[in-house]
Amino acid sequence: MTSDHISSLRNPSSIKTRFAHRFVLALKKLSMDRASSSVSMADRYKRYRKVRAAAYASMASSVGPKRAWARALLRKIRNRKMGSNLMKRLGSRTGLLKKRTVLKPRNHREMGSEQENSLRELVPGGEGMEFYRLLNETGHYIKCLRAQVKVMKNIIDLYSN
Amino acid sequence: MDMVAAIESENWQVNGNNLINTSVEMIPMNNSTVEPSACSAASMVDSFCPQNWDQQANSETLSNLDSVRANLGWNPNQILRSGVFLPAVPGMIHQSLPHFPADSAFIERAARFSSFSGGNFGEMMNSFTIPDPLNPYSHTFASMQGPHEIFRDNGYEMNLAEACKEASFPVEHGTEMSPLQNEKRRENFLRSQEEVKNAVDILLNESGMDEFNNRDPIEKFEGAAVESSGQGLGFKKRKRIAQNEKKEAPQPCVETEKDRVESKPKGDQDPASSSKPVGKQGKQGSQGSDIPKEEYIHVRARRGQATNSHSLAERVRREKISERMKYLQDLVPGCSKVTGKAVMLDEIINYVQSLQRQVEFLSMKLATVNPQLEFNIEAFLAKDVLQPRTSLPSSLTFPPDMNVLYPPLHPSQPTLIQSGIPGLGNSSDALRRAINLRSTAVSEEFKEPSSQQVPNAWEDELHNVVQMGFNSSPTIDEQDLVLFCISSNLASFID
Repeated sequence: MTSDHISSLRNPSSIKTRFAHRFVLALKKLSMDRASSSVSMADRYKRYRKVRAAAYASMASSVGPKRAWARALLRKIRNRKMGSNLMKRLGSRTGLLKKRTVLKPRNHREMGSEQENSLRELVPGGEGMEFYRLLNETGHYIKCLRAQVKVMKNIIDLYSN
Repeated sequence: MDMVAAIESENWQVNGNNLINTSVEMIPMNNSTVEPSACSAASMVDSFCPQNWDQQANSETLSNLDSVRANLGWNPNQILRSGVFLPAVPGMIHQSLPHFPADSAFIERAARFSSFSGGNFGEMMNSFTIPDPLNPYSHTFASMQGPHEIFRDNGYEMNLAEACKEASFPVEHGTEMSPLQNEKRRENFLRSQEEVKNAVDILLNESGMDEFNNRDPIEKFEGAAVESSGQGLGFKKRKRIAQNEKKEAPQPCVETEKDRVESKPKGDQDPASSSKPVGKQGKQGSQGSDIPKEEYIHVRARRGQATNSHSLAERVRREKISERMKYLQDLVPGCSKVTGKAVMLDEIINYVQSLQRQVEFLSMKLATVNPQLEFNIEAFLAKDVLQPRTSLPSSLTFPPDMNVLYPPLHPSQPTLIQSGIPGLGNSSDALRRAINLRSTAVSEEFKEPSSQQVPNAWEDELHNVVQMGFNSSPTIDEQDLVLFCISSNLASFID
């Protein structure tokens, strides 16, 4: 753990710093856009969703386009956002548009074991990959998730104190 | 052609019964290929056999030659199968055979020829009594058709090509054959050399002969024979043959041959898909010295494994996957003791799920934090956000019961959730039920023996919430509501 943050200190462009910057900026934007604090459950839920989306989006964009899971994550967020925007404007008709799951080559999905399939569901973009590639992406995804959790915890602690 | 075939078959019956039987046992796959290639083998040997047979009929080494011929009869088959080996090779042997009675260096040459085929030959040389100078050759050749047979034959063939390079020309001069035969032999030999060279170019970067020489000295071979055999085309296949022979004597020969066969088309078709490097050939140990750099990486079928190209690729894929799993094992905390792909995958899945839930939970916390506090970005970035804060007590013992978490509260936390708590207008009964369910689930997770780290993550989350939510004097309802928050977040905030 200490080596992680030391390495991120030394390396100003590590994933942690990049993510931290982007996420903080996104949070700031969210807090500015948001109306004054509302305590209703629905609003809180919406806020929570936005914050979570901001967290994932900033993580994915700081990882860069090289990783398949980052691309898939960004795609998912954008689709959801666009889907929700369309929902607001068009009402029920956008129910069809929301189903933007890209058809993946079926052989990757069919032949997997049960655990493999559940891993595919967990890792963004894991549906269309071979197992070996899935394992690669999982490894990188785990590293980034860990960094994300650490940064978010630190942010919260900073705010809380 | 018929006569040749007939005579050949007769020879096989006479001398090669054991050969055929043993090799057939060892290599059931060969059966299918023997018959179709028999005719072509006959046609190949045709160019050489008739002339040689005339001589052999006269020489007293008829028995030897028969065995050798039978031996060689196999070789063309394998030559055909492999597609790499040369039809001219048996011819070379025939040429050199007449020299046996006359050649004082016969034993040396025989040793040279046979040394390629394996250390066992060396052993046999030592163990067999040698009634006359010719017999070791025949003995060894006849008995070479043991478990290592064709394997050695392959080496024998390959190395014959080289040895013939040395020996062929003097041999040719010495024979009484017609110039026509000499020409034919020479052109065959040259063609064979060309073919071999092509194969080598296709498959390998040219490696120096030195490496082969470097490798052999310590092995069971007779040193002189080895060194002399080290000359010629020092390509990798021979090295691997020698290597394998030394290391694993009882290895079925088909594997290596098939492997080479498979690796050649592999190398041809897909140079990019490199499998295991030759240096790391599983059981077959390394020679210790430098292995030549190859363009394509060959996979060698291990002993007792199928040599189908599909299964080889499968095996490579499986090994890559297991390597990845090991890497993931290091990444996921607490998985060092876990063995097995399924359990490992389960652990990985659990870990990823817990990390994702943590992110969701923290984002929920942030969402509640936001409206309360001002976001001072500059102050934020000025401080080092990346340093782990020590506000959380680092040394948390791991209580099996959730209630134990309640006492160590930090009253310093502002009541962030409390403002939101009244908003949760749920009946306390439902809450208590949810909380009980959740607490049992969590405590079960806490007691989970497989890893301590995953429950630690839960512990951190809970502790965060506890810190956040609890004041100096929390009421029971508030506690319930906080726990309800936890439960709902952790359980169901899924896309």
